[in-house]
Amino acid sequence: MAANKNKNQSSLVLHKVIMVGSGGVGKSALTLQFMYDEFVEDYEPTKADSYRKKVVLDGEEVQIDILDTAGQEDYAAIRDNYFRSGEGFLLVFSITESESFSATSDFREQILRVKAEEDKVPLLVVGNKSDLEDRRQVSADEARAKADEWSVQYVETSAKTRANVDKVFFDLMREVRAKKMSETKEKNGKKSGNKKKSLKERCVLL
Amino acid sequence: MTAIKHALQRDIFTPNDERLLSIVNVCKAGKKKKNCFLCATVTTERPVQVKVVKVKKSDKGDFYKRQMAWELRDLTEVDARDANKDNPEFDLHFEKVYRWVASSTAEKNSFISCIWKLNQRYLRKKLEFVNVSPQLLEESVPSGESQSVAGGDEDVLDDYQELNTREEQDIESMMEVCEYAISNAEGFAEKLSRELQVLDGANIQSIMASEKQVNLLMQLLDHALSEVDNIEGKLLSYEEMLQSVKEQMDQISQSNRLIQISKTNNDKLLDEIQFLVNYMDLSKGHIKALQEGDLSSPKGIEACINASEALSQCMNVALKPGHDKLLAVKQQQRLFTELKDTFARRLTNHLNNVFVYQFNHFSHFKMTIPQFYRSSCLSLPGHDQSNTLAQHTADLTLPKHSPLHRDLLRYAKLMEWLKNTQRDKYEGLSRTYVDYMTRLYEREIKDFFEVAKIKMAGSSKDVKGKFGLHGSSGKLTGSTSSLNKLAVTSSNSKRSQSSSLLDMGNMSASDLDVADRTRFDKIFEQVLSELEPLCLAEQDFISKFFKLQQHSTPAQGENVDDADGIVHSRPPSEHRISISEKDMVRLMMNKIFQSIEMELNSLIALGDKVDSFNSLYMLVKISHHVLTAENVDPASYLSTTLGNVLVTVKRNFDKCISGQIRQMEEVKISKKSKVGILQFVTGFEEFAKLAEAIFRNAERRGDLDKAYIKLIRAVFNNVEKVANESQKTPRDVVMMENFHHIFSTLSSLKISCLETERKDAKQKYTEHLQSYVINSLGQPLEKLNHFFEGVEARVAQGVREEEVSYQLAFNKQELRKVIKEYPGKEVKKGLDNLYKKVDKHLCDEENLLQVVWHSMQDEFIRQYKHFEGLINRCYPGSGITMEFTIQDMLEYFSSIAQSH
Ligand SMILES: Nc1nc2c(ncn2[C@@H]2O[C@H](COP(=O)(O)OP(=O)(O)O)[C@@H](O)[C@H]2O)c(=O)[nH]1
Ligand SMILES: [Mg+2]
Repeated sequence: MAANKNKNQSSLVLHKVIMVGSGGVGKSALTLQFMYDEFVEDYEPTKADSYRKKVVLDGEEVQIDILDTAGQEDYAAIRDNYFRSGEGFLLVFSITESESFSATSDFREQILRVKAEEDKVPLLVVGNKSDLEDRRQVSADEARAKADEWSVQYVETSAKTRANVDKVFFDLMREVRAKKMSETKEKNGKKSGNKKKSLKERCVLL
Repeated sequence: MTAIKHALQRDIFTPNDERLLSIVNVCKAGKKKKNCFLCATVTTERPVQVKVVKVKKSDKGDFYKRQMAWELRDLTEVDARDANKDNPEFDLHFEKVYRWVASSTAEKNSFISCIWKLNQRYLRKKLEFVNVSPQLLEESVPSGESQSVAGGDEDVLDDYQELNTREEQDIESMMEVCEYAISNAEGFAEKLSRELQVLDGANIQSIMASEKQVNLLMQLLDHALSEVDNIEGKLLSYEEMLQSVKEQMDQISQSNRLIQISKTNNDKLLDEIQFLVNYMDLSKGHIKALQEGDLSSPKGIEACINASEALSQCMNVALKPGHDKLLAVKQQQRLFTELKDTFARRLTNHLNNVFVYQFNHFSHFKMTIPQFYRSSCLSLPGHDQSNTLAQHTADLTLPKHSPLHRDLLRYAKLMEWLKNTQRDKYEGLSRTYVDYMTRLYEREIKDFFEVAKIKMAGSSKDVKGKFGLHGSSGKLTGSTSSLNKLAVTSSNSKRSQSSSLLDMGNMSASDLDVADRTRFDKIFEQVLSELEPLCLAEQDFISKFFKLQQHSTPAQGENVDDADGIVHSRPPSEHRISISEKDMVRLMMNKIFQSIEMELNSLIALGDKVDSFNSLYMLVKISHHVLTAENVDPASYLSTTLGNVLVTVKRNFDKCISGQIRQMEEVKISKKSKVGILQFVTGFEEFAKLAEAIFRNAERRGDLDKAYIKLIRAVFNNVEKVANESQKTPRDVVMMENFHHIFSTLSSLKISCLETERKDAKQKYTEHLQSYVINSLGQPLEKLNHFFEGVEARVAQGVREEEVSYQLAFNKQELRKVIKEYPGKEVKKGLDNLYKKVDKHLCDEENLLQVVWHSMQDEFIRQYKHFEGLINRCYPGSGITMEFTIQDMLEYFSSIAQSH
C-alpha cells in the first residue's frame, strides 16, 4: 500500500520555491507560517532547510518544495547552486529595515545570473513584517516602484498575522506553473523526465 | 433584804467585778436614818481582795451609791459590844473606829460571821473579835457564807431564783389583800386554812349531788338500746326484700344480653352476605366478555380488559376464614376459576395467533410499508421480490416494527392480568413471542448486514480490484451470491458521481483509500444508527407489553410513556425491586437479538479485513454510540451489546497498531537501491493524518495517544535499525532524511503528546546532517586532511606550533608534497565527485540535496581557512600556500551549480 503511495505522491506536479533575502527579514517565519500555521517569535538563524507540502492550487493538487536559506552566507557563490535548483523565488525584505530592501537588488542580480538561460524567472518581491507599520523604513511606493522596474509583483506580508502569506506562495506557484506550461508548449512534445514519469503513472491509473 | 442584796449586786458590784457576800443595813451610831448598807465583797479576779463597802441609798428614788470602801486587811478589830444581849450595835476598827447600828441583831451577827469567814479564807490575819458570841465564829456552821439568818427565808446564794414579775404581782396582790400578812403570818396562815376547809366542804357536797344525775343518765341509755334493737330488726327485713329484687334484675339483664347477641349475629350475617354478594358477583356482561368477547376489535379488547379486571377483583377478594366453606362461595369460586382458565386460554391462543400472523407477515414481505400491516388481512398487493431487494440494497435500513408494537400494546393490560393470574401461560406467551421475534429479527438483521457488507465490500472491490489490492474482498462478495449483482453495480454507479470512477484518473491511491474509508465510515455509522432505535424500541415494547417495567408511582409513569417511548432510568431506590424484571427484559432481549452481536462482530471483522485502518473509525463510532446508549439507559441491551462490541473493536485497533509495528520490524531494505524515506515512516504519517481526522473531537483520544507513543517509538527504533543495517546508503543519510521527514510530519500534525519526539527528531536530523557533511568532506582533500590532522595532533601533544616543521613527518618538504597533490584541477574534480555522490545518496522526496550541499560548501570553506591558518602558524615565513585560492573554490562551486 505504502509503496504504491510513494510513487503516486511523487507523481504530483512539484514546484520548487526558494526563499531569498537578508538574515532576519522573516523568511523562516513566512515558511513556517505557510507550512504549519505557526509563528515563531524567537530568531534562530537558519543555514538551510527544506520543506514539502501538498496543496491544492486552483483545484489541482500539487506539491510545493520550499528551500529556506540563510541569506547571510560569507560568499555569494555558495548560493549559486540552490538558486539554480529553484523554479520560483520569494525575494523577501523587511519593511522595517531599509538595508534588507537594498540587498534585494544584489540577490535578484545573482538569481538572474545563475539562471541566465531562462528568459523569465518567476519571482515576487515580498515586503514582510507589515504588522510593524510604526517601524516602517521602506515605503510601499518605493518597493512597488522597484518591483515595477523589474516587472514583478510586490506584496506586503506579515508572518505574524499571516496576512498575504498564502497569497505570495500561491501567486508564485501560479507563475511557476504558467512558465512551465508555456515551456511545454514551446518545446512541443519534448518533455522533462519528471513529466514523463507522471504521465506513465496516469496511464496506470486509467 | 434579799431583793436589796440582789439589786446591789447587779447595780454596783457586778460592774466592778465584785461579789457581794453579806450585807447589813446600818446607820451611824447616834443617827436614825438607816439608809446605809455595809457590804462584804470579794473581787472575782485573783488575787482576791476582800473589802467592806459602804453603800448609801439615795433619798429620792430607788438607787444606791457606793460611798466608801475599806480593805479587810486594814480591819483590826470587830466589836459586837454585847455577845449575849440583843444589841444591834457594832464597831469596826479600820484606820479609825466606825460605829454602826444594824437594823437587827441577826443581820449584825450574820455580817460579823461573814467577816470572820472571809478573814479565815483569804487573810488569816490577826483580827480581834470582841464581844462576839463564839457560835458565830465557827467554821462548822452549815454553808458558812450563806447560813440562814432569822427564820431561813433566805436561799443559798447561788441557787436563788428571782420571782418573776407575775409571781411577784400575785404575791403582792395577795399581800395587799391581806395587809397584815407580813406583820402577822400566823394569822394569815390560819386564815388560809380556814378558807381551804370551806372549799373542801363545797367540793364534797357537789360530788354527792351528781349521783342523781348519773342514775338518770343510765335510764336514758337503757331506753336507747332497746330502740336500736328495734331498728336493726327492720333493716334486716328490708335487706331481704332487696335481695329478691336483685335476683329479678339479674334475670332481666341476662335475657337482654341474649337478645343483643342474636341481633349482632344477624347483622354480621347480613354484612357477610352483602359482602359476598357485592364482591363475588360478576356481571353477566363481564362473564360474556370473558367467555366469548372479541379479542381483535378495540371495543372487544376494552370489554375484556374491564371484565378481566372485575374477575381479578372478585377472585382477589380477601375472604375470611370459613367463607370458603360456604357452598355458594365455593360455587362462585369454581365459576371464577373456570372463567379465568377459559379467558386465559382464549387470550393466549389469540395472542399466539397474532404473533404467528405478524411473524409470517413480516417475514414474507420484509420491506413492506406499515400500511400493509395495517390492512390486517392476508391478501396483499403483489410486490415482486426483486423490486423489494433493490430497494433493500439501495438504502441500508431495517424494517420498523412500531405498528406491530402499537397493535400488541393494546393487549398490555390483558398481559398484566395474565401475568398476575396465569403465570405459566404468561411465560409461555413470552417464550413464544421471543421465539418468533428471534427468528424474525434474525432474518431481518441478517439481510441488513448482508447489504451492509455488500456495500462495504463492493466499494472496495470495484475500485481496488484494479490495483490488485485487498484481494480478500473478492471472496466476500461470494457469500452474497444470492443477491442480485445488478443491485450492487447500480448502487455503485449512483455513488460514482460524487467520488471514484469518473475522476479517478486524477486521484492517488491514498485518495481512494480515503474515499473508501469515508464510505466505510458512513456505512458503519448507518448500521449503528439503524440498530440503535430498533433495539430501544423493542426493549421498550417488551418492558411495556410484558409488564416488566419498574413498578412506578403515577408520577414516574409519565416518564415511561414519554414521547420517544424510551424507558428512562430510575432513581436507585427503585432499582432493587425491579432487578429481576430488568433481568427478564435483558434475557428476552438477549434472545431476540442474539444475532446482532455476532453480525456486528462479523461486520467489524470484515471492515478490519478490508482495511485495518477502518478500526480507527469503528473505535470512534462505537465509543460514541456506547456513550449515547449509556446516557439513555446504562443497563439496556443495546448498551451492553455495544459495550461488548467495543471491546472487540478496541482489540482490532490494538491489533492494527501492533500490526503496523510488526510491519516496521519486518521491513527489508534492498541492498541495491538507496534507502530514501522508509515506507513505515510515510506509513506513520498517513496513519497519523487519518487518525487525527477521525479522532477529532472523539472520546477515545487517550487510546490514540497511547497508540501514537507506541508507534513513534517503533518508528524511531526501526529507522535506527535500518540505518545501521543499510549498505548502499550511509547511515547518516538514512537517519537525516527519515528524521527530517518525521520532524516535518509531527510539525504539521501538532500532536501534543508527541512534542518531545518532534524535538528529538529535529535534533537527530541536525546531528546526522552535520556528521554526514563532515564525514563526506574528508574525501576530496583526503591527504591534506590527514596531514593537518597529524599536525594538530602534535600540537595537541605539546609541540609548539612553530616547531612542528622540525618534525620529520611534518617538515616543509612533506607539506609541499601533500599540497602539490591537490592542484586546483584535482580539487574541482574531487568536489564534482562529491556532489555526484551526495546526489546519489539522497532521495528526491526529502529534497535535502541543496540543504546538504549548502552545508558542505560552508564547511569546505571553513576547512580551507583552517588549513591556511595552520600553515601560517606552523610554517611561518615558508611562503607555502595552497595550490588553489578561495576564489578558485567559489568558481568551482559556481561551475558545479551551472553543470546541473
Ligand atoms: N512582527 C513581525 N516579526 C516578524 C515577522 N517575520 C519575522 N519576524 C521576526 O523576525 C525575526 C527573524 O525572523 P526569521 O524568520 O528567523 O528571519 P530569517 O532570517 O529571514 O529566516 C524573528 O524574531 C521573527 O519572529 C513579521 O511578519 N512580523
Ligand atoms: Mg531563517
